[in-house]
Amino acid sequence: MIPDRIIEQGTLSTDGSRATVEVRLPWYRAIPGSCISEASLTVDGVRAPDESVRWTMNGRTFALADLVDEVEEWWFPTDSVELSGDIAVADAGAEHQVDVELKLYIPYIVTDHGVLRIEEHDTKTMKAATR
Amino acid sequence: MTDTLGTPVQGVTLYSFTRAFHGREYDLEGLIRKVAAEGFGPGLEIIGFSSFRGFPKLEDDYVGWFRDLVAEVDLVPTSLAINGDWALRPQKLMTQDELIAYMTRQIEAAARLGFPIARVQISLTPDSMEQLLPVAEKYGVTLALEVHAHHHGRHEDILALRDRFAKLDSPLLGFTADWGATVKGFAPSLLEAYRRRGATEELLTAVSELWNQTYREGPPTTEAEHGKRFGAFIGLAHQHGRPDLGIDFAINGTGLFGPAPVDTWLEIAPFIRHCHGKFFGIDADGEEPSVPVRELIALLVSIGYNGAVSSEYEGWHWNYWESPFDIIRAEQAVQRSAAADAGSRMITDPAEARAVHSAHLARPVRG
Repeated sequence: MIPDRIIEQGTLSTDGSRATVEVRLPWYRAIPGSCISEASLTVDGVRAPDESVRWTMNGRTFALADLVDEVEEWWFPTDSVELSGDIAVADAGAEHQVDVELKLYIPYIVTDHGVLRIEEHDTKTMKAATR
Repeated sequence: MTDTLGTPVQGVTLYSFTRAFHGREYDLEGLIRKVAAEGFGPGLEIIGFSSFRGFPKLEDDYVGWFRDLVAEVDLVPTSLAINGDWALRPQKLMTQDELIAYMTRQIEAAARLGFPIARVQISLTPDSMEQLLPVAEKYGVTLALEVHAHHHGRHEDILALRDRFAKLDSPLLGFTADWGATVKGFAPSLLEAYRRRGATEELLTAVSELWNQTYREGPPTTEAEHGKRFGAFIGLAHQHGRPDLGIDFAINGTGLFGPAPVDTWLEIAPFIRHCHGKFFGIDADGEEPSVPVRELIALLVSIGYNGAVSSEYEGWHWNYWESPFDIIRAEQAVQRSAAADAGSRMITDPAEARAVHSAHLARPVRG
């Protein structure tokens, strides 16, 4: 569902060792943090190690593993979250290919095969801001 | 059939404009004002978890702001779509008691926001609906369980719900009839979207043909049959070397374009409290090419239906090249024309809509 909007164009930033990008929900309704099953960030083909990935939503920052029980903070359809991870981005001013993959549970659709989990992916190219 | 012709209330669900809201072209207030200014109402339906930040926990000030806005623009709240999020914690599904409490909070929110109907979904069993009846009574909210493809008016799950509603005999329990259950063809705009994703003409013909075959065979009446069809769409994509399109074909082919005949709605007619005027696009002749809007409106008129029809444009998933506002305008013109052809009319005046809709919801199931 509207996967082409996952990565917000022009939001890549780097402090030299970590990369951050703003991400939109590829779904029509809000879901809680517990429904964010997997998220990956890749810049120029280098994927951030899972344990380094952080998810900042509504002003709070989570490791992915800590989202499992998070039912207080919700991802609203018009909000951007920040996805960051350990990736050293050299030459911020050059064009970089950003890839984000999201796997999200849809909490009201439970079938004989389990809870529906959608998998969406987006790729965009942009320069990085230094911070 | 009844002696008195129905006068359905025209309306829209903001879900039709998901792409514009998600894309931040309109915020909630802007969208509500747009709906009113365009005359897409008077009926207004909203999905709680889509439009209200923090739903169902809403501050009194926010609720007041919403009610004042709707009153100012003279729209008529019809249905608040709520969700049974069994898998809020996907690793540990809710217990029945937790689910009932979860739904209760949303039903209360519907009442506070001024919606007389809460649209619920098929995840609620007959027992859950019975358990929720006292909640509906407490808040004065009608629970209208959505009959959505792949289900339809003659599906075993729906008949079990209908029989329970009949036994409980309350005007507060009924159905939302989603027109996507009774579709006559694969949406041409979706075929165009697949074409833009590189699908061959041969594959597009094959997927249409597979859907037409399910239409000829009739809708699935059991979950087993549904599963078999779902698999057939996935298999077709694999056979044509496009496995990436398989799930999409299957979800849309079985879950958006339900192949039931229009008259299947007669099985549950007295219990239809609300309608989703689901549709996918408008062709060059100004008609809906895959959803039989004219037949559906004629049927509603013939059964004396005075509830709302929320135009629900679902083509936005794949159609990024046309305006949803133009498409809604055109589809509602078809509805009004069809109602006139059936010897009646759609209600578009807000005051009349309020009176007719209230009377519709108060009507006993029997007699």
